[in-house]
Amino acid sequence: MITLIMDFSIKHSSYRITGRDSLVFLVDASKEMFIKGEDGQPSNFDMTMQVVRSVYMSKIISSHRDLVALVFYGTEQSKNPRNSFKHVYVYHDLDEPGAKRVQDIDSLRGEKGAQLAAETMGSGETSLGDALWCCANLYSDIKLRLSHKRLMIFTCRDEPHGGDSVKDRQARTKAGDLKETGVVIDLMHLMKPGGFNVSLFFCDVISPPEDESELGLQEEPCEKLDDLQKRVRAKEQKKRAMARLNLCLGEGLNVAVGIYATAVTARKPSAIKLYRETNEPVRSKTRTFHTQTGSLLLPSEIKKAQVYGKKQIVMERDEVDAIKKFDDPGLLLIGFKPMEKLKLHHHIQPAVFLYPEEDQVKGSACLFSALLKKCSERNVFALCRCIARRNYPPRFAALVPQHEEVDEGNAQITPPGFNVIYLPYADDFRTLDPPHYPAASQVQVDKMKEIISKLRFKYRSDAFENPVIQQHYRNLEALALDMMAPEDIEDLIMPKVEQIDSRLGPLVDEFKDLVYPENYNPESKPAAKRKTADSGGGAEKKPKVEVTEDELKVHVQNGTLAKLTVPVLKEACKQFGVRTAGTKKQELIDALVARLGS
Amino acid sequence: YLWSDQSLLSALVLCMDVGFSMSNSAPGEEPPFELAKKVIQKFVQRQVFAETKDELALVLFGTDATNNPLDQDDQYQNITVHRHLMIPDFELLVEIENQIHPENQQADWLDALVVCMDLLQTETQGKKCNRLNIVLLTDLNTQASPDNLDVIIENLKQAGITLQFFLPFRLEEDEEGEGDADRRDSGHPGTGKGLSREQKSGLEMVRHVMLEGFLSLSTYVSVSESDAIEQLCMFKRIERRPMAWPCQLTIGSALSIRIVGYKAVTEEKLKKMWITVDAQTTKRDDVKRETVYCLDDDNETEVQKDDIIQGFRYGSDIVPFSKVDQDQMKYKHDGKCFAVLGFAKQSMVQRHQFMGNQVVKMFAAKDDEHAGVALSALIRALDELQMVAIVRYAYDRRSNPQVGAAFPCIKQDYECLMYVQLPFMEDLRHFTFPSLENKKLTPSDAQLSAVDSLIDSMMLVNKDENGEQKDLFKPHNIPNPAFQRHFQCLHHRAVSPGTPLPAMEPWLQATLDRPEVIRERCRAPLEEMKRKFPLTEVEKKKKLKTSAQIFGKDAEESDAKNEKDEAEEDYNLADIAEGSVTSVGSVDPARDFRTLIKQKSLPFREVCQQLTHRIEQLLSNKDTLYYMKSITCIQAFREQSVKVNKHPPFGEYMMMWWFLLRHAVWLFYGDYDKDEVEGSTISKTEANQVYRSVYVSLINSKRS
Repeated sequence: MITLIMDFSIKHSSYRITGRDSLVFLVDASKEMFIKGEDGQPSNFDMTMQVVRSVYMSKIISSHRDLVALVFYGTEQSKNPRNSFKHVYVYHDLDEPGAKRVQDIDSLRGEKGAQLAAETMGSGETSLGDALWCCANLYSDIKLRLSHKRLMIFTCRDEPHGGDSVKDRQARTKAGDLKETGVVIDLMHLMKPGGFNVSLFFCDVISPPEDESELGLQEEPCEKLDDLQKRVRAKEQKKRAMARLNLCLGEGLNVAVGIYATAVTARKPSAIKLYRETNEPVRSKTRTFHTQTGSLLLPSEIKKAQVYGKKQIVMERDEVDAIKKFDDPGLLLIGFKPMEKLKLHHHIQPAVFLYPEEDQVKGSACLFSALLKKCSERNVFALCRCIARRNYPPRFAALVPQHEEVDEGNAQITPPGFNVIYLPYADDFRTLDPPHYPAASQVQVDKMKEIISKLRFKYRSDAFENPVIQQHYRNLEALALDMMAPEDIEDLIMPKVEQIDSRLGPLVDEFKDLVYPENYNPESKPAAKRKTADSGGGAEKKPKVEVTEDELKVHVQNGTLAKLTVPVLKEACKQFGVRTAGTKKQELIDALVARLGS
Repeated sequence: YLWSDQSLLSALVLCMDVGFSMSNSAPGEEPPFELAKKVIQKFVQRQVFAETKDELALVLFGTDATNNPLDQDDQYQNITVHRHLMIPDFELLVEIENQIHPENQQADWLDALVVCMDLLQTETQGKKCNRLNIVLLTDLNTQASPDNLDVIIENLKQAGITLQFFLPFRLEEDEEGEGDADRRDSGHPGTGKGLSREQKSGLEMVRHVMLEGFLSLSTYVSVSESDAIEQLCMFKRIERRPMAWPCQLTIGSALSIRIVGYKAVTEEKLKKMWITVDAQTTKRDDVKRETVYCLDDDNETEVQKDDIIQGFRYGSDIVPFSKVDQDQMKYKHDGKCFAVLGFAKQSMVQRHQFMGNQVVKMFAAKDDEHAGVALSALIRALDELQMVAIVRYAYDRRSNPQVGAAFPCIKQDYECLMYVQLPFMEDLRHFTFPSLENKKLTPSDAQLSAVDSLIDSMMLVNKDENGEQKDLFKPHNIPNPAFQRHFQCLHHRAVSPGTPLPAMEPWLQATLDRPEVIRERCRAPLEEMKRKFPLTEVEKKKKLKTSAQIFGKDAEESDAKNEKDEAEEDYNLADIAEGSVTSVGSVDPARDFRTLIKQKSLPFREVCQQLTHRIEQLLSNKDTLYYMKSITCIQAFREQSVKVNKHPPFGEYMMMWWFLLRHAVWLFYGDYDKDEVEGSTISKTEANQVYRSVYVSLINSKRS
């Protein structure tokens, strides 16, 4: 259902969202930016370019209609639309990112990139005021409607004008102008010796937090690429609610909430149909017409039907909708349950996230916050009935409280709100007939524990890239840029077999000795195995199998009796005169253990 | 449950008493006949929609007429085989609905039983039926001769027929043996008290049969219990045979365990889709859908299918990429796999990051105890360490590989790994939300304690007197209401065509709401919450446009407002008109139209025709955007023609509205009928308004 909702909101986003999102990277190109870090750490400039590249890439993949620009300031050379600003270099005008632009960025990376930057732009005087003014022009030159405007300044200089108060004032004024036109200015300040002091100058340039409650400026400058990437990404992705609903606690007690999809299965985008001659996209038109008369059919001339038991049942189109309607969209609180009642395997859809919408119903945030706090404190979840949109049948969902977490740098790791876990209906369970086997002994379990601890790692949800999607975009990239072959991708979900083998060493064989009999090959197909047994001829009696008392005792000690087959166990019972409760394997084993175990 | 879902076929005879005593009931109570009919209806309904191959027959007794193979010399009278053994269909449902009425005779229920047995035995010959059942619905209110009871029992035994009684009253506690704890209200109608002599002796016989082992006590369901109906109301749960997925769990290259996977939980969908039929003939073949492709130019030049290639968007670029190339270059892998990448703490894998829509249970391979032990060692080790295996999972060579977690699961009678898909980096969206730890938002202690008592009053899991946990609301026991409602409506339409769809069944409605106990309990705490948390709806700034706004209210009203707009428009026009406009194009037809009229380079009529043509074209797209575009066209048309002629040319004007009307219908009941177009300026109700206002405009223009 959620994928449906997502598809839907994407499909219709052009109606709802009245413009495009835009993002300008304003990057300091002064000499300081090019200083390499210790131990061959990349320079601030290099780091910035990597981040810009990853934003370009993610825009290409997820929101290609957003506009992005890259502007350098503090350059020697100047390049801007009317060339009215000195020391401002517009590298990329505000436009949709494409393959060429990614290539451009690539050429600015690393040692060679620094060289290229020095050749084309150089480092010179700084006037942030001019740079901001130039950016303002970029925005105003755009004929498209912009819905969200953001500007990110990347710099490692907290006093860009070296204390020149006139230039400082000019920059502040320009920043003020920009902010007035709805541009949000962020500072991505980078590491510099002696620390970056935001209060010297930049605190007056950047936009104040969106509302009082929003996290303010990150005080600590970014030192690592990861941090910078995270920080940029958090700002760069504009969150949009999939739906705004009421959470009804009881009659007349409605809290306005927004539903957000925080994890949506990314798929390879669908193909676009092109006209062979010109490679221009074609549009499709679908018509419904009468087979006999050939005339177009109006909706009133069409009905819907299903066939059951040889009978065709016909309904009007609006009846088909009416059947699906149970109630108006919204969340209805049914009650609360302790967290342990939320079963791990009750999973049918990815979860969504719930956050109050104060601007719809005033007071929502306070009630929501109180509910969140109490649910979390008492370790309960709220069970709700959820109708996500009009004419959607209801689903039940658990609202699981999640409180806010921030990292050392005060960046939010998890936002405060409820995770909505959709719950299955009776129809969603399948009846299985599980096989029954004897449980492993503690010796066997302990050996496996050793294996597990050798292969321990820290799971992070963003650690694995989707190789299918990555390959697809590499292919497109190669075609778009006329590359000989696509760049290789690293398949991160491929087990590193050699590494695993060497880490485990002899443990594997030790474990196998404990659980598998000799000559057992798990790779062999069971059918083939049976065949060989059959071909041996049913008539031919199997050789009598016997085990010595010592062997048995070892098995008993290691808890590995189950490795022996039933005939062998039976024989052993006979041998030692052990009486058994039955002939089932576990009964035989139990009996033998009781006899020999002491 | 007698009719459990088995892959093997079963044959069942529904044997219903329609004799006169069945219509007797205390005032205000439903007669046993009606209840029995409901049970039968629901049961047949279930069978029909489940599309099972199980066969079913219907025998009535107490009928005025007699029609059965055993009818001979006063024997087996007033018993009618209404339907022979066959797969139930809608016809049977219609018959039950319309042809089964209470009748005036009484018949021996043992005789009826014999007729049923005979029917089962003769009609299942040569068929592979492995389960034979008879369901008897009667109030036992007839004299039955017990003489042959033992013979009958012997016959049942030999034929392997099981028997189930539906009685309109409950057996008394002590007699029933396994009385349900919550059925103790003795004042309840239909209890064993006040039974007639016949009923009492009948019961004796039923017990006798029971003792012979044909009837387990648990199959006793009294139709006077509303939950009996409810049980039957739930259309057969959608059952699918689990498909085995044999594979090997691998840890590195040297360690593998033979496993088999089964989907355990997955979102079940209805199997059947709606098909489109012609309204008049209701034939599917009379309707054809056709998709054509055209260039995005003014003429909408059609392009043949063969001239179409595929491409993909790469940011601002569109890259042509043929299917062949794509197949060659796409990511390929070795197919089926369940390979461990490593092990991680369970707490690192968060519940809300589960992806996909299923949970797969992995067991050790069938008939391989060694695999069983090896897997058990892994499961137990993971469980003891509170860890999971992070695995690469690929269903087969054609499907995309996933990353997921295998959780240990140890149940009383089995052990398995539970596999759930986890997100890829590309799936995640890192949204930041304002902190709720904010002075303005921080709830007061009084507010918090109000929430506390609300939670207290609404706890669904409570301990009862005996200290046992009781869960009042289990969604996983509720049948998917969408399916239930779907089948209810289909059934209704099939049986009573031409009548409006029925209301939702009360029991279904009730399962989707708060339990009554909770509703009562939370009343006061909710009131307290209302007092403690003032909530005020913020008035929406952007109201949806009304049809009046869309169409521009006829003449005067909005003229004053429009004047300013028009002035601006003119200014823009002057700007734009610099370029030469020679015909009404598709990009901005309204603008072109205005310009052309202004230029006076073409005759007014011709320009109008061009516009009409354009509108027609626009509307063929069936898209809100184009729809809106055509509205602006018509607005332009009206405004310009009033300027020029003071009166629009009637024919064209009518034509346009007619197009619009037709397409308004298409648009809002057509492609977008499934859901509201959120954020679109037009909702369905508005569409109705549009429809109406178009209609009114038509009438008005006719008058003028």
